[in-house]
Amino acid sequence: MENIVLNETPVRTSKNYGINNIEIKDFVEPAIKEFSNVKITDNENCVSSEKENINLKFGLGEYFLNQSNNQANVNLKINVDKKLKEPIIIEFNLDKSNNVLVDNINIDAKEDTKANIIVIYKSQDENDGYHNGICNAQIGANANIHVTIVNLLNTKINNFYSVNSNIEDESKTLFSMVEFGGKYNVVNYYAKLAGYKSVNKLHSIYLGKEEQKIDLNYITELYGEKTNVDIEVNGALKDKARKNFKGTIDFKTGSKKAKGKENEYCTLLSDTSYSKALPMLLCIEDDVEGEHSTATGKVDEKALFYIMTRGISEKEAKKMIVKARFNSVIQGIKEEAVQNLILEEVDRRLD
Amino acid sequence: MAEKKTQIEDISRNIYDIKNKDEYSYKSKKGITKEIVEEISKQKNDAPWMREFRLKALETYNKLALPTWGPNLDELNMDEIATYVRPKTDMKSSWEDVPEDIKNTFDALGIPEAEKESLAGVGAQYDSEVVYHSIKEDLVKQGVIYTDMETAVRDYEDIVKEHFMKCVPVSDHKFVALHGAVWSGGSFVYVPKGVQVDIPLQSYFRLNSPESGQFEHTLIIVDEGASLHFIEGCSAPKYNKVNLHVGCVELFVKKNAHLRYSTIENWSKNMMNLNTKRALVEEGGKIEWVTGSFGSKVSMLYPMAVLNGANSKMEYTGISFAGHGQNLDTGLKVVHNAPNTSSVINSKSISKDGGIATFRSLERVMPVAKNSKLSVSCESLMLDNKSKSDTIPVSDIRTEEVEFSHEAKIGKISDEEIFYLMSRGISEEEAKAMIVRGFAYPISKELPLEYAVEMNNLINLELEGSIG
Amino acid sequence: MSETLLEIKNLHAKAGDKEIIKGLYLKINKGEVHVIMGPNGAGKSTLSNVILANPEYTQTEGDIILDGENINGLKTDERARKGIFMSFQSPKEIPGVSVTNFLKYAKIATTGKPVKIFEFKKELEKNMEELKMKPEYANRNLNVGFSGGEKKKNEILQMLTLNPKLAILDETDSGLDVDAIKTVSKGIKMYSNENNGVLIITHGTKILQGLHVDYVHVLVDGKIIKTSTGDLASEIEAKGYEEYKK
Repeated sequence: MENIVLNETPVRTSKNYGINNIEIKDFVEPAIKEFSNVKITDNENCVSSEKENINLKFGLGEYFLNQSNNQANVNLKINVDKKLKEPIIIEFNLDKSNNVLVDNINIDAKEDTKANIIVIYKSQDENDGYHNGICNAQIGANANIHVTIVNLLNTKINNFYSVNSNIEDESKTLFSMVEFGGKYNVVNYYAKLAGYKSVNKLHSIYLGKEEQKIDLNYITELYGEKTNVDIEVNGALKDKARKNFKGTIDFKTGSKKAKGKENEYCTLLSDTSYSKALPMLLCIEDDVEGEHSTATGKVDEKALFYIMTRGISEKEAKKMIVKARFNSVIQGIKEEAVQNLILEEVDRRLD
Repeated sequence: MAEKKTQIEDISRNIYDIKNKDEYSYKSKKGITKEIVEEISKQKNDAPWMREFRLKALETYNKLALPTWGPNLDELNMDEIATYVRPKTDMKSSWEDVPEDIKNTFDALGIPEAEKESLAGVGAQYDSEVVYHSIKEDLVKQGVIYTDMETAVRDYEDIVKEHFMKCVPVSDHKFVALHGAVWSGGSFVYVPKGVQVDIPLQSYFRLNSPESGQFEHTLIIVDEGASLHFIEGCSAPKYNKVNLHVGCVELFVKKNAHLRYSTIENWSKNMMNLNTKRALVEEGGKIEWVTGSFGSKVSMLYPMAVLNGANSKMEYTGISFAGHGQNLDTGLKVVHNAPNTSSVINSKSISKDGGIATFRSLERVMPVAKNSKLSVSCESLMLDNKSKSDTIPVSDIRTEEVEFSHEAKIGKISDEEIFYLMSRGISEEEAKAMIVRGFAYPISKELPLEYAVEMNNLINLELEGSIG
Repeated sequence: MSETLLEIKNLHAKAGDKEIIKGLYLKINKGEVHVIMGPNGAGKSTLSNVILANPEYTQTEGDIILDGENINGLKTDERARKGIFMSFQSPKEIPGVSVTNFLKYAKIATTGKPVKIFEFKKELEKNMEELKMKPEYANRNLNVGFSGGEKKKNEILQMLTLNPKLAILDETDSGLDVDAIKTVSKGIKMYSNENNGVLIITHGTKILQGLHVDYVHVLVDGKIIKTSTGDLASEIEAKGYEEYKK
C-alpha cells in the first residue's frame, strides 16, 4: 500500500481545510506476528481470550477494521456481569521483538453492573512499530462503566485506534483517553447514546511533541430522550507536533431534552506546532441544548509569571500549568499507579 | 392585528414575486461551451485580454470538479442554464429612461425612494445587465468612481486589469471559474485616498428571467485612509425551475482604509446562490461584513477576508433564516497573515419548517500572524423539530502567539421566556416573533434603517402569523 | 361595597407529577392588599404561576375566578389581558428588545388600543424617576445585564405601566437591599387603589412597611391554614412557621 486516507469526519467540509480525514504517505503494511507482552490484572475473572468480530459505524477505515477482526494477535473479551470491586488492568508493552500489536477488545457490560477497565499501551524502548486496536463496549441498562485507554507509546510507533460504544437506558459511561504516543496517532471514538437518560462522558488529554501527528475524531450520537454527552479535551503541543481535533455531537431525531457539551483547549508550547480543530454540532431535534467551545493559545503568561516569582524555572512552570490542565482527567482515573505513570510521562515528554 | 397567515409563500413574497414578461434581445444557448463564451464576449465587445481571460476561465471550469461537501447540488443542471440573458435596455442614468416594467419592479422594491433619502449612489442590475447607475455629484468631485463593471472595463481598463480576479483567482473553485468565463454586469467602486463616503452606496440585483443565471462582478477598491459603506440587495421572483446566482465580489481594502459591506439577500426560493466574496486587507485596514441571508433554495456563501497587513481587522456579523425547502450553508473564512491582526465573528441562524441552516467557517492563523486575536460566537435557534441546524467550524492555528476562542450554542426558545412575555399579555406567536427579532437584533442594528425594517418584515413573514 | 376581584376555590395543582397546591381557597376584594407567607416549598410560587397559567404547572382541580369570570383554561396571555399581572422572582432576559418597545407592545396588547407615543413616554419617564431608575434603562435590552435590584424595579415599572386589575408580587423583595425594598413598596403604593387588588408573596415584612395590609395568609403544604389581619406578618417574622407545621 502507498498513501492511505483514514478517519473521515461524519460530515465533510471543504477539502482545502485539510481536516475531513488524514492522509498517511508511504504507509507500510505491518508484518503481523506473535505478541507476548501482555499483562492482565483481573482479580474477578472477567477477561477471556474469546474472539468476537466487531462492527463499527465509523472507525478509521475498512483496512484497520478488517485487520483487527481477521489478523489480531491479541483478542480479549471482558464480561462484566456484576458490580466489580476491583479494576481490570490490561497492559501492553511494545518493544523491539514485540513491535506489532493488533488487538481486538470486546467489553460486554450487562445490566446494573459496574466496572473500571484500564487499558495501557506502553513502549519499552524507542524502536518503531505498529499498533492497530479496537475497543468495542456494549453497555447495558443502568450500568456504570469507566473505560480508560492510555496511549504512552513512543513517538516512532504508528498508533491507530478505534473505540465504539453503545449505551443503553440510564447507564453512565465515562471514557478517559490519554493520547500521548504515536508518530501518527490516529484515533476514532464513537458512542451511541441509544437509551433513555444514558450518559457519556469523554475526557481526553493529548500531548504532541517532535513531529507527532495527532488526528482525533470523537463522534457522539444522541438518540435517546434526556441523554447527556460531555466531551472535555485538553492538550498541549510542542516542537513540530500537529494535531487535528474533530469532535461531533449529533442530536438525532428523538433526542428530546438531551444535552451535549463539548470543550477543547489546546495549549501551544512552540511556534512551530500546529493545531486544527473542528467541533461540530449537528442537530435535527429542537428541544435540546447543545454547546461547544474551543480555545487555542499559549500558556497563560500571568500564571507563568506568578509561578516564576516563586523561584520556579520557566520550563517547570510550563509543565506545571499543563499538568494543572490535565489534572481533572488524570484524577478521574482512580488508580494511583496509573495516575503516577501518566504524570511521569507528562514530565518526561515536556522535558 | 393582521390576520393569521398560513401559506407564507402565497402571500409574503408578493413584492418580490412580480414577474415581468421574459423579453430579451439576446439569449444564449443553454449550457456552456467555448462558442457560448465567445458569443458573450462578442456581445460585450470585450477587449482581447478579457476575451482571453474568459476562455482560460472556461478551461479551468472544465477541469474542476463540483465540491464534495455541503448542500446537494444535483438539481443544478448546467446544461439547462442559459448563462447569459441580456435585457432589452441599455444602462440609464435617470429613472425616467428605464423601461416601465423594470422600473415598476424596482419601484416596488423601494429602490429609487431609498436613493432619494439615504444613499449616496445607486446601481440596479436586471438579469445580466446593469440598467441604472447614479452617484451624488459631490462624490464625483472628490474622485469617487461608482459605475457598472462593463463601463469600468472600458473607461478604467488599467485599474480593472490590475485587480480583476486577482483577489479571487479563477482556480479557486468550479463556480468561480464559471463566473470568470461568463461574468456580466456588476458594480465598480473606487474611493480615492483619504475620501470618506459618509452615506452608503448601494447596488440592487434582480434576476427576472427563469432558468437563467446572474453572474455579476463587484470590484471595490478603497484606497489608503478612505472609507465606504457598500450595500447589496438581491431578489428574484419565484419560478418553478432553478435559477443560478454565481456572483463574485472582490474587495481591496488598502492601508488604513475601512469598508463595510452589507448584504440583504432575499433571492426567491428556487435560487441556487453560489456566491464568492473576498476581501484583501492591508495594514491597519478594516473590513466589516454584515450579512442577512433569507432567500434562495440553496446557498453556499462564505465571505473571506485575508488580513495581509499588520494591525488589520475583520468583523463578521451574519444571520441566516432557513425556512421550508431551504438549505442555507453560510459562514465565513478568515486568514490572518500578518502580526497583530484581529477578527470578531458573530453568527446567528434560525431554522424552521424543515429548513436547514449550516454555519461553516475557517479561521486560519499563519505563522507570521503573531499576537493575533480571534473570537467566534455562533448561536442557532431551532423553531421546530422538523428543521436542522449544523455548526461546522474549522480552526487552523499555526503560531503559539495567538488568542483564539470559539463558542457555539444550539437550542430552541426557552419556555420560560415565552411565559414571561405572555404574562404581559403578549400572545404566544407574538412572543416568539419578538424573541426571534431580538435574537436577530445584533445584526439588524448594523443595517441602515430601511434594511433593518425590511429584515424585521422578512422575519415576521417567515414566522407563522404576522404581527401588525 | 366590597366587590370580589379574585376568587380561588379548591385549587389543586401539580409541578410535573408532584402535587403542590392541595385545596386552596382565597378571596381578594377590590381595594385590598393581601399577603401570603409560608415556609420554603409550601407552594407560594406555584400559586402565582398557576394563577398565570404557566405551562410548567397543571391545575388539576378547582376554579380561578377573576371579576366574576371563570378563567380556567385561558392561556397566560389571555389572563394577562384580563388584567392579572405577576412580578417575577427572576425576570427573564430578552436580548434585542428594549424596555420601552416591550412595554409599548405589552400596553397595546393588554389594552387592545393604540398608545399615544408622547404621553406613553412621558408617563414612563415619570414612573422611572419615582422608582429611581436611570432614564437610559428605557433603551436597554429587557433585563439584559440588569442587576437583581434593577430587574425587580423594572417589574414594578411594568406593573405601573400596564396598570392591571390584580398585581401578584412574587418574592419581589428577596435579595434586595433596604433602599430598593423601599422603592418597591413605594411603587406598590402608587399602584394600589380602590379598584384593584394586590397579592404579595413574601418571606419578610420590610416590603410591607408603610403599606396598609388587609389580610395575611399562611400557606403551608399547599393550603392556607391561617388568615388574619396585618399584624400576623410581624408575628411570623419574629416566631417563624414552626407552630404551623405539624
